[in-house]
Amino acid sequence: MKKYSLFMLIILLLTACGQSNNPNTQSIDFQHTSWSDITQKADSTTVNIHMWGGDEGINRYIDEWVAPKLKEQYNITLNRTPMDTQNILQKLHSEKRAGKQEGTIDVIWINGENFKNAKNNELLYRPFRDQLPNFKKYYDQESLAFQYDFGTAVDGYEAPWGKVQFVFQYNSNKIEEPPKSFEELKAWVKDNPGKFTYPNPDDFSGNAFLRHLLYQSADSPESIIEEPFSKQHATKHSQEMWSYLNEIEPHLWREGKHYPSTLSELDRLYSNGDVWMTMGYNEARAEHMIEDGVFPESTRSFVMESGSIGNTHFLAIPYNSPNKEGALTAINFLLSPNAQLKKLNPTYWGDNTPISIDKLSAEDQEKFQSLDRGKTVLPGKKLEESFLPEADSAYVEWLKENWKNEVIRND
Amino acid sequence: MMKTLRHKQIQFWVYISILFLFPVLFLLYKSFTLPMRYETHLHAHFTMQGWVTLFSENQLIQATFVSLGIGAIVVILNLIVGLTAGYALAFYDFKGKSLLEALILFPIIIPLLAITIGVHIAMIRLGIADTWVGVVLIHLVPTIPYAVKILRNGYTSLGTAILEQAYVLGPDPWQRFLSIDLPLLKPAIRSTIFLTFVISLSQYVITAIIGGGNVVTLALVFFPFLNSANSTVLAAFSIWFALLPFLFYILIELLFLLLPYQKPWRTRS
Repeated sequence: MKKYSLFMLIILLLTACGQSNNPNTQSIDFQHTSWSDITQKADSTTVNIHMWGGDEGINRYIDEWVAPKLKEQYNITLNRTPMDTQNILQKLHSEKRAGKQEGTIDVIWINGENFKNAKNNELLYRPFRDQLPNFKKYYDQESLAFQYDFGTAVDGYEAPWGKVQFVFQYNSNKIEEPPKSFEELKAWVKDNPGKFTYPNPDDFSGNAFLRHLLYQSADSPESIIEEPFSKQHATKHSQEMWSYLNEIEPHLWREGKHYPSTLSELDRLYSNGDVWMTMGYNEARAEHMIEDGVFPESTRSFVMESGSIGNTHFLAIPYNSPNKEGALTAINFLLSPNAQLKKLNPTYWGDNTPISIDKLSAEDQEKFQSLDRGKTVLPGKKLEESFLPEADSAYVEWLKENWKNEVIRND
Repeated sequence: MMKTLRHKQIQFWVYISILFLFPVLFLLYKSFTLPMRYETHLHAHFTMQGWVTLFSENQLIQATFVSLGIGAIVVILNLIVGLTAGYALAFYDFKGKSLLEALILFPIIIPLLAITIGVHIAMIRLGIADTWVGVVLIHLVPTIPYAVKILRNGYTSLGTAILEQAYVLGPDPWQRFLSIDLPLLKPAIRSTIFLTFVISLSQYVITAIIGGGNVVTLALVFFPFLNSANSTVLAAFSIWFALLPFLFYILIELLFLLLPYQKPWRTRS
């Protein structure tokens, strides 16, 4: 009997707690709240930002620059927690299912597949971007880069924080003239067997390398970017890409029998001098790597003439953020010209800014233009000219699946 | 006879150096030098950068203590469950015993993430998600099976005879446990403590989900850096990470000295 009543008690506890949803979802009515009210409410609160924490430059930017400034200007305590975006979404997903209205996360860093997932599952707070004064003032409202995130309509659910572009890095001591096109790359790979490889497309960067080839393989990048994803369309336009990959395979590092499974593995190969090129999103990544002694001093970067894929990364607010006013204030601050300038600076992160330079004051424009991003970073004009937007995120999965069939099993 | 013993000794030291000493020393060396590149591979560049980065991570010290605390509680709970369940499984016969033993192993067989996601929702309802209590409970899932298994085997090899002897002499159960079970089960307890602590320390995903970022353990700070190509920082982090079980182990050994019949100065003659 005693055991039985304990069991009942547990059952009761479990069911009782399920019902205790807080009906008060405390969403902010923007029409009737002025921005100064929002910042006032954010005063002396804590904002929890959860973000990927694997780069000390990024971590230091948040901890050493952003957090003290937010404290000083808005009396907000910014609390950074390292956590992978997928885990954050997993947590939000469970909280949504359990009906938890008071979460623990106020700001998340997100884009692409994760954003699509979060938006479709309604894990994000309602559209807030167009309420941010800094976004309205300094950003190009019409820009396609802010309207679509890997083919998913943004609809104001996230605010642009930075942008990166895919570049190749090479050792200028070994390579005098880097290839300008994929055709030249093929010739170079054949002339220098074992000195090139790319990460397995399960890796984010390896997948981007394939997407460049896919754009090239189609008649024009537009036919991939603008058409919605379909398997027939993808198959039709990818024939050239697969034959290209199979053609270079025997000349790759270890005769293509093994591909680096992550970008860091490729970076280590490059660092050891086993291969002479590496690649990756963030046009300024080589700066840090050289400073830390990972990459040789002679590292330079290049992009293909056919273009280089870039994407924007965003900040969003989870649906159950306990401090939405604080989150809005913090995001608005992160979008400000000052914060963006500091982020662009190679001493911390070196991440490019999505801000519209021509909308800034003359003084700020001067600051942005005179900032030296380092000798490994291509000039802004060159990057802008070669910029290609991302395709539908469904291509990422499709490439992962088909690469194994077309390239690995085809030996 | 002497010769083979000496031979064995040499063999032992050769294996130890290759498999243990060399990797550890190499890691230590790597944490103080710039990543090796083909241009620099002949002369190492000394640097403190790895350790400076490590300690500039402002959550490091706190995360270390959180990990230590959670690990300690997980170990204690494991010992309680493991010793009692191990005793029962070793000495009692009851219906469905083999089924129960199989069930206890389940958490190792079923993907941990699947369990965690299911448990998470229940924990949110109970209000223990995002707290250290939840994290401790979820760390029990991958550790309990090992603890029960090891301690059960410990009790089995101990046999009933000596415990019955104690029973006949009639001390109270607690005294019996302290003076008979604990000293004799020391090797099994030691492995349980070490294993469960290391498993708890290295849980990343389940800690992230259940702790929700409110509970920042060392794994949460350390694991994202595994994506870095900077081997100096990585080496420094790894050493720090490995230091924790090591310190914990020393602590436990010191505690063991307090047990009856464990005086280190009592040498066998």
